[in-house]
Amino acid sequence: MSRVSMTLARENGRICCASCKMPLAGGSESWKARAILTEVSVARLPGAGLGVEQEVTIRRFSCPSCGALLDSETALPGEPFLEDVVLG
Amino acid sequence: MDPITFSIIRHRLFRVVEEAVITLKHVSGSAITNEGHDLMVSLYRADGSLLMGGVGFLHHLTSASEACKAIIRRFEGDIEEGDIFLLNDPYTAALHTSDVYLVAPIHHDGRLIAWSACFVHVFDIGAMNPGGFAPDATDIFSEGFSSPGTKLVSRGRLRRDVWETLLNMVRGPEMVALDLRSMIACNNVARERMLTLVNKYGTETVDEAFRRLIEQSEQRLRERLRELPDGRWQSRQYLEVKGEVFRVLLTMSKAGDSLTFDFTGSSPQSRFSVNCSKWASLGGLFAPLFPLLCYDIVWNEGVIRPITMIAPEGTIVNCTRPAPVSVATVGAIQSVNNAACSTIGKMLMASEKYAAEATAVWHANHFAIFMFGNNQHGRLAIGILTETFAGSGGARSFADGVDVGGEIPNPISRMANIETIEATFPIRYLFRRRLQDSGGPGFYRGGTGGELAIVPHDAPDGGLHYVVSGKGTKFPQSEGLSGGYPGGVNDYVWVKAPTSGVNADPFAQGLPDMAGEKVPVSWGVFPLMGQDALYVRWNGGGGIGDPLEREPAAVARDVVDRAVSPLAAEQVYGVVLAGDKIDAERTRARRATLRRERMAQEGTR
Ligand SMILES: [Zn+2]
Repeated sequence: MSRVSMTLARENGRICCASCKMPLAGGSESWKARAILTEVSVARLPGAGLGVEQEVTIRRFSCPSCGALLDSETALPGEPFLEDVVLG
Repeated sequence: MDPITFSIIRHRLFRVVEEAVITLKHVSGSAITNEGHDLMVSLYRADGSLLMGGVGFLHHLTSASEACKAIIRRFEGDIEEGDIFLLNDPYTAALHTSDVYLVAPIHHDGRLIAWSACFVHVFDIGAMNPGGFAPDATDIFSEGFSSPGTKLVSRGRLRRDVWETLLNMVRGPEMVALDLRSMIACNNVARERMLTLVNKYGTETVDEAFRRLIEQSEQRLRERLRELPDGRWQSRQYLEVKGEVFRVLLTMSKAGDSLTFDFTGSSPQSRFSVNCSKWASLGGLFAPLFPLLCYDIVWNEGVIRPITMIAPEGTIVNCTRPAPVSVATVGAIQSVNNAACSTIGKMLMASEKYAAEATAVWHANHFAIFMFGNNQHGRLAIGILTETFAGSGGARSFADGVDVGGEIPNPISRMANIETIEATFPIRYLFRRRLQDSGGPGFYRGGTGGELAIVPHDAPDGGLHYVVSGKGTKFPQSEGLSGGYPGGVNDYVWVKAPTSGVNADPFAQGLPDMAGEKVPVSWGVFPLMGQDALYVRWNGGGGIGDPLEREPAAVARDVVDRAVSPLAAEQVYGVVLAGDKIDAERTRARRATLRRERMAQEGTR
């Protein structure tokens, strides 16, 4: 098992959740497509500014098995996922 | 060379830079330099390559190297002992016209052995808007005086014709003169101390130490890169000006002992002055790289060699002349800083050995607000609200970010005392404090930003005006890591006093306490007159990890400290409080509900 981030690991060439070890995707596939995606509107977060863009969200990628939050990214609708690939 | 001599020379170079910075601050009279530390001093080898990067704004270290090289090319055969050159053209090397470089050759026995270089953000540069940041500019020609290289001091004598021409084109020439003199003094001190070093050890020994120092830095960075995993990491930054949205997209690839920063996919260059030139982008990506990857390595040419940048021409990160760039340092350059900080943070987080060095993005958005007008002493005052340099720390992989904790690209940035600003400008502060809920939520919280409000006070003209180059109100830019949320956004609000003429509450503690119509402003020149007020809030740092995993006691402490609101504690962290105490049962239930909600997929690609 090798480290990919604080929340992701690699085992036998597959990216998995570091917390429950559930495999998410093969090394060359996008693990984000296999995670559960929920979005939070930045404008609806407590403390949002007066001028904040209504469309922008925080995408949250969670483990389908244990629910651990694996990653997040700020995005407008329709943007491709940011893809991070750790080759080891 | 024996290691002790090598070590002594290395340390002497640090001290040369340090003493030159002190000189710069002592001579300069502006708050942006000696309070905000918007400055830089570095040393370069005879060919202009970076020898010893100093402190201050780190995105200048490589640009000033290019400035030295541009002077070497332009003035070939005409570089003499005691000369000092001025360069501030962004399409030659500088970041924007108001960050003026003064670079000086250092000769020993008639031979060029090194260069010193420094910059300050000068009081004014004659751009459309006072102070240098010119949101109204449409091209580089409307951004003030711009030189690809001018000899300002010839063989130790100031060239009066050049000096007077330059001062004839700027507002507040006596203040600009002080800025320029501070840089001349800084270069003089650097030269004297370098010559003391060379006289003691001899040019050959010193030059050999320079060469080895660069070799050592390259070797050590390459070793570090080999220890880090290979891979590819992405970051995306949004900038908005007057409804137009721009992207800086970065893909950072690491293979073996080299790193490539590829900005392909970034937006085409803008008609607004948030663009930056390629030298600025290069400097922008090095600003976080120096402290995050080279915290124990001397910042010099050796660190630059393993790095490649791809910045497509005609984009917001490599614009073509005559696109305007005066807001670059807080526009595209800062987005490059942020994106590089984010991708480097992700790479460090992927390493068992280096995860402790990872950080979320710090204070990602400067608010460049330059006030101008006649002050209570009957003089023209122009200057930045230095709170922008107060910053906010990104969360670390082992601790929260520091509240109002500075920024990555400038390790010595700080804000002026309120009294300093009130003594210079005809204004009064209603409050200046940490901003609640601005730190990015996470297992480790991002440091908070801050907020302030000012009103006119003792102003001969009834107030003053300010230039705001305010992106950063629409999109969070202090990205989190490993699930952490980004820090909050900026806001600039013109609070128009009620027509009844009721004065602003002198004891207001926040925007809700302030009477009057609240109009968000972000780009251009606005008045601060009569009974009106200006409210500003700045962004916090990004968080790291899952906010639902944060220790409830840490959340409760944040609520007591007013860093986090009870609403955010419950909605974002799932921590329910009864007064100051944690309601353990309701917290468990709330967190379970929030986790369930997070498991119900809703978004689509
Ligand atoms: Zn899991």
